[in-house]
Amino acid sequence: MLEIKDLHVCVEEDGSEILKGVNLTINKGEIHAIMGPNGSGKSTLSKVVAGHEAYEVTQGDILFEGESILELDPDERAHLGVFLAFQYPVEVPGVTNKTLLRQAYNTIAKAQGREELDPLEFEDYAHERMEVVEMKPEFLERSINAGFSGGEKKRNEIFQMAVLKPKLSFLDETDSGLDIDALKIVAGGINQIANEDNAVVMVTHYQRILDYVVPDYVHVMVNGKIAKSGGKDLALKLEEQGYDWLTEIASVSVNGEQK
Amino acid sequence: MATLKQKEQTFLKDLLDFQGSLNGNSKFLDKVRLKGADEVRNTPFPHKKDEDWRFISLRDLYSDSYQPASTLDVEDPDLRDYFLPECDNSRLVFINGSFSIKYSSVEALPDDVVIGSLAQFAADGNPLVEEHLNQYSVFEGDVFSSFNDAFLQDGAFIHVPEGKKVDTPVHLLFVQTEADKTYFTTSHSLIVAGEGSEITVVEDHVGLGDNKYFNLPVVEVSAGKEAYVKHTKVQRDSKEAIHIARTTAFVQKHANYESYTITLGAKLSRNEPRISQRDEEVQFTVDGLVLIDGDQVSDTHSVMDHRFPHCESHQLHKCVINDKAHSVFNGKIFVRQHAQKIDSFQENRNLLLSRKGLVNTKPQLEIFADDVVCTHGATVGQLDENEVFYLKSRGLSEKQARELLTYAFALETIENITVESVQKLLVDEVHKFTDRQLDSEFTV
Repeated sequence: MLEIKDLHVCVEEDGSEILKGVNLTINKGEIHAIMGPNGSGKSTLSKVVAGHEAYEVTQGDILFEGESILELDPDERAHLGVFLAFQYPVEVPGVTNKTLLRQAYNTIAKAQGREELDPLEFEDYAHERMEVVEMKPEFLERSINAGFSGGEKKRNEIFQMAVLKPKLSFLDETDSGLDIDALKIVAGGINQIANEDNAVVMVTHYQRILDYVVPDYVHVMVNGKIAKSGGKDLALKLEEQGYDWLTEIASVSVNGEQK
Repeated sequence: MATLKQKEQTFLKDLLDFQGSLNGNSKFLDKVRLKGADEVRNTPFPHKKDEDWRFISLRDLYSDSYQPASTLDVEDPDLRDYFLPECDNSRLVFINGSFSIKYSSVEALPDDVVIGSLAQFAADGNPLVEEHLNQYSVFEGDVFSSFNDAFLQDGAFIHVPEGKKVDTPVHLLFVQTEADKTYFTTSHSLIVAGEGSEITVVEDHVGLGDNKYFNLPVVEVSAGKEAYVKHTKVQRDSKEAIHIARTTAFVQKHANYESYTITLGAKLSRNEPRISQRDEEVQFTVDGLVLIDGDQVSDTHSVMDHRFPHCESHQLHKCVINDKAHSVFNGKIFVRQHAQKIDSFQENRNLLLSRKGLVNTKPQLEIFADDVVCTHGATVGQLDENEVFYLKSRGLSEKQARELLTYAFALETIENITVESVQKLLVDEVHKFTDRQLDSEFTV
């Protein structure tokens, strides 16, 4: 589904390189976790896949279902089925969740040649999808993320994912700032959405959420590269030993002793 | 023919010539006009060198000759598109400043509410006119108020008796027609709400064409003891018009005056709401929304005068500026020496959609009491790129995302307006505005 090949990315503004040759393949039906210390580039990777304009790809490629998406705008990528759950979801006072989601749903449905929903149909559909993250119907009438608690914002991201049914979802630190009850709800939502036909990538600091959403693969990013990949046991090892042992591997490779 | 021109000689002569022709129906109004004319003779028109006018140029006003609107021949325009469904039988219409019996109807209003043409009431010798006219104005030495007096022709007169709560909103529709010549129109309206009464008024200025004219409306509001007055002003004059308005409100004990001023039209508009607290324990709101593009200039100079203890006041003034448009805000907050326990909020937020737009903003606080809370702030910004990215990542196009965010910015003012059709009209206006902006921006 997604193939990232030797991806090098700079910050547009100052030219500093953040991703230094990332390789990653994600097939449908898989759940991946990308872990790594602060500043390793994992959030950047999510934003670049979604098409954030603050970053410039200087080398490599991102293929989605076999086609390069580097030239596509964020909305065109969303139309193909790419979704990003934001680490810091944006507040938009004055626009209700319902307004945004119906517009988003219909825009994507239209681009994919599916049927658009009228306001009543959409409301029924949205109510059904809200159950995925145990949200109350009033929620639809509230302004997007305005005055939401941290936990509500994260739940809203998963709710949006449930409504839009993307093929590939990057969840950028969706677990951070959640108490254990909220974490279980969010994880339960992800498990309900994940299926044979889509793929989920969880970007996270902590092993904690992986107890509830069990990944098929775990990757560790260090200094702009994937330093190690493995199964879910790798996450447990990281929890025990921290990232230092990987940082050493990475710094060795920077010194030219490539494996 | 009377002309308004800065060349003093012709101006004075023509003014006097025309003055006489208006007089005769009401001795009281004759006196008001003569006094106004006298003041105009002795007061210079403002210029950029005057502190209060330094951000804008009045060249457009002074560069033309104007004839009084009442001297124009007009055919009856079709105004149905501008009627509000809530106000089908609570509407006063003025076409080029003259009262239109044909389009006005006040049947839905209680009999003891005095409502209609100011000039007619004056001609009939109704004592209420003399009792209230020019009693609630705080524009001494202002040449535009004097000019309005000098050419006082007509306007809306509303008197709500003690204890009467009027549920039906009242629509005051001031229509300016197309004309070959530039003209000026002056209206003077009064809203007098008696003790414990309630009234909602929509003051609506509409330009039917895209011609140049000078609209100078004066509105006086008196919110009596425990009265509640909701006043929405919608200015959708022609994009070539000049609109200079004087609005004052006197707010008595326990009264609440709530106003929303929406600026969409006119090439040059200047609003000067002045709210005067007349007793203890009052509330008032002076919110505004400005949507301008092209080479439009919108200037708001407001005064919130806290004269007695215990007052809650609120001013949120929002502007969306595109192209080469220019927005000015000067918000004065006075708190007099004995006016303790004042809670005043003021904020001016500007959304600049283009590189060439211009914003001047100046909060001005003069506080002589020591136990007050006054917050004020001003921001000038563009649409947040993170917000745009967020919406685009949900599948919205650049245009849809920007439209939604602009709409959200404007909505905060609109959603407080309680007359549903006005709210809807303004939502449509916001959509038209963002559509226009974004098309011009993205079809390049």
